[in-house]
Parts: sequence; C-alpha cells; structure tokens
Amino acid sequence: MRYELDFSALADYWPDFLHGAIVTLQLTAIATVLGMAIGTLCAIGSRSKRRWLSRAVGIYVEIVRNTPFLIQIFFLYFGLASAGIRLPVFTAAVIAMVFNVAAYCSEIIRAGMDTVHPGQIEAAQSLGMSTPTIYWDVILRPAIERVYPALTGQFVLMMLSSSVASQISTEELTAVANNVQSFTFRSFETFVAIAPMYLALAGLLKLGFWLFGLVAFPRRRRLGTAL
Amino acid sequence: MTITLNRRTLLAGAAGFGAAGLVALPAQADSLDDIKKNKKVRIAVAMGIPLFAYMDAGLNPTGSDVETARLIAKALGAELELVQITNAARVPTVQTRKADILIGSLAITPERKRAIDFTIPYATLDIIVAGVPSLAVKEYKDLIGKRIGVTRATVNDVMVTQNARGAEIVRFEDDATLITAVVSGQLDLVSTQTAVLASMNEKRPNNRLDVKFVQQELNLGMALPKGEEPLKAWLNDWIRTAFNSGELNTMFKKFHDRDLPKDLINRET
Repeated sequence: MRYELDFSALADYWPDFLHGAIVTLQLTAIATVLGMAIGTLCAIGSRSKRRWLSRAVGIYVEIVRNTPFLIQIFFLYFGLASAGIRLPVFTAAVIAMVFNVAAYCSEIIRAGMDTVHPGQIEAAQSLGMSTPTIYWDVILRPAIERVYPALTGQFVLMMLSSSVASQISTEELTAVANNVQSFTFRSFETFVAIAPMYLALAGLLKLGFWLFGLVAFPRRRRLGTAL
Repeated sequence: MTITLNRRTLLAGAAGFGAAGLVALPAQADSLDDIKKNKKVRIAVAMGIPLFAYMDAGLNPTGSDVETARLIAKALGAELELVQITNAARVPTVQTRKADILIGSLAITPERKRAIDFTIPYATLDIIVAGVPSLAVKEYKDLIGKRIGVTRATVNDVMVTQNARGAEIVRFEDDATLITAVVSGQLDLVSTQTAVLASMNEKRPNNRLDVKFVQQELNLGMALPKGEEPLKAWLNDWIRTAFNSGELNTMFKKFHDRDLPKDLINRET
C-alpha cells in the first residue's frame, strides 16, 4: 500500500487558503457579535410574562434547532431570491449564521438565567434597584458567566459549521479547499492542510473568548474561580 | 515537499492525525476479475445533471449516463450498484476507488489524465456561456468585472478561471444548485452545458437565458483508477461495439434529441 502525499502542488494556493480563512473569520466574528446580542434578547424574551412574546421566541428556537443548517441557508439564499429579495452571498451567509446561532445561544443563556436564585432578585428589588439594573447586574452577568464555557463551545461549533456556506458559493475556507482539490486533484492533501487551519481558527476564537471573559467578568479575574 | 506513505510514516502520521487511515486504499487487484467473480459492479454517476443523470418523476435515477451504466452492467453480467455522487466528488471517487467505473459526463482533459485513466469517448457535450438578453457578452474578456456562475470542478470552472481573469466566479457544488441559483434569480450569467441551460430555461420561461458563446465541445470518457488495464480494454471494446451497432446512439438520442458525432470513437486516441 503506497500513496504519495505531495503537498508541493498546494504551495501556489496559499494566498487562496489565507483568503478563505479570513472570510471564515469575518463570518464568524460578525455572527458571534450579532448572535450573542440577539440570543440574549431572545433569552430575556423567553422568560417574559407576556405570553405572546415567550411563545414567539419558543417557536423561533424550536424551528431553528430542529431544522438542518443547510436548509436554513438555502432558504435564505434561494428562497428569498425567488421572492425578489436578492441578498449578496456574504450577507446571506451571515444572516443564516446569526439566525441559527442566536437560537442556540438564547437557550444556553436562558438556562444560565434560570440558575439565579429568586431570593437574589427579591433582595435586589428590596434594595430599590431598577428593573434594567437588576437584569444587567443581578441576572444577566452572573448568568452569562456561569454558561460562558458552553457559549464558547457553541460559537466554535458555529465557526466550524460556516463550512456549509460553501454550498451557496461563499468563498470561505472549505470552498477554497474544494476549488484547490478540483484543480490539483490532491484531495487528501488539501483536506489534511485545512484541518489544522480550522484547528488554529478554533484556537483563535477560544483565545478571543477567554480575553473577553477577563474583561467582562472582573470577579473571576480577581478570584480566579467560577461562580 | 513529498512524503512517501509506507507503514512507518503512516503509523507516525496516524499517531498525530487519526484520519490518516483514510488513505488505506485496497491492495492492487484486477477489478475486471473482481467484478466477474463477485457479479457486482460499482458505477459512479454524478446526479443532478439534466439529460445525463437525474431523477425521473418516480424518483428513479435515469438519463444517458445512468442508462449507459445499466447497459454495461448487463454486458458484464453483473449486478449494478449505482454510486450517486456530486460533480466535485467525481475524480476523488475514482482515485479512492469508491467505484469501479465513473460514468459522470466527465470530459477528458490532460490534467485529469494525470490523476485517473479514461476510456475512449462515449458521448460529447457543448459547454457554453449563457446570460440574460440585456447582457452584452461575446467572448471571455467581456466577462471581466461580471458575476458568472459555474459548477465547481468542471471544465467550465477551469476555462473561465483561466480565460477570464478578473471575472467574479461564483461556484456551486453541483448543477442542481447552479440551476436553483439561476432560477431563483441570484445569477444573470452562467457557464454550463446546453442540457443544463435547457433545464434552466424550462423553469424560467418568461426570462430565458441566451447562449452568448460556445466555449468548447467536450469529449466525455468513462473514468477508472490508474492501472486497471483489463477493465479499460473491456470498456473500450464495449464502447466500440455499442457505437458501431448503433445501440449507444439510440439510447443517447432518446435523452438528448441529437446524434453522437460520427467520428466519436476515433477521437482522443
């Protein structure tokens, strides 16, 4: 059994790989910020006493979490175009990713918010804190701090699933790899080459989350313990 | 940089990278012999290509490639296992021996010949650039600065990439997705083949795409892994016989409504 691994054929394509990795990173960065924001709002909405609001968020979360990402991305790119709304491919990919990750994110954050003891909220109320202050300082920040590792994992998963966007012709890392292997016929080498790139991107994303955690959670930074 | 994979480097690689097992190709064997012994032949077809390989109304695979595969299995006296793949997976499928033969409207090109083996041509197709009537496109240089859709890993992709540097090339994984992109209005310009264009226009009768220019007539060959000389010789014989008897042409015409070129089997020798 012999197979010649020949990486020299890929050498000419490094700029393409780099460009693909940058597109993946851009998709991930935008989807992370927007997904986190919308996910947080949805988490608050799902705990709302207004039935229609919590019901609406529930339906959205169930739809997203029970349909494949590929279908969601096709729906946004082809479905909306059929209806006359022509989104650029990068925008369609970002919207699909935000739409997808926000639902998962909202469930994770909601779980974190549920862990805040009602006594703490009552204590805050009896101290005369306003509702926004209670939400921000007593519920949300400790909640996110508790579920931070799960959130980090979810966003790493989202970065990896951005490879699906290659199906609608987004020129991200997987699409570049598919192009390169179709030009060089060195498919095994190509995928051997992009696996560590994804690994590095995941490392970078985790590093980003860790640094953000240091800034966002001063208690953890000083004490070094989880809540 | 080249690394030769033998047991030692493979074990070392496997320690660091579990997926190294993926290259564990079956030991060299005569696949024609195996096919006849096991009475089973694995033929890969690239699905989602109008007229060549597609699903009929009853969701059964059909098309000229699929029917060719059926004829070959019959001639071999073997049961047909149809391996349905995408366009981009065609060459890797042959290289990694996921199928014995590929009949996937794959054009014979010098680059591909370095990676896999081809039979003599069994069919042809015209590749073209098509677009909405309002676009003025007559040659490759008119594509510069425009968005043009192609299917990844096709000759169209290679030709547009090489001849129209500066065009924005939008690549889809298979013809079916490319068709969806055109029909849904995401693309005004494509490089594809006539059969695919017909299928696009069928789905958008009020806003048809015109042929802007013909890129090339391609000779399609069946593909097989390198070194399968007995199987290749058998297939070449079969193509010659079926072409000369008219069987191949009758079947092809049923789907494509045109005859195969008279000199087909003497091309690419």
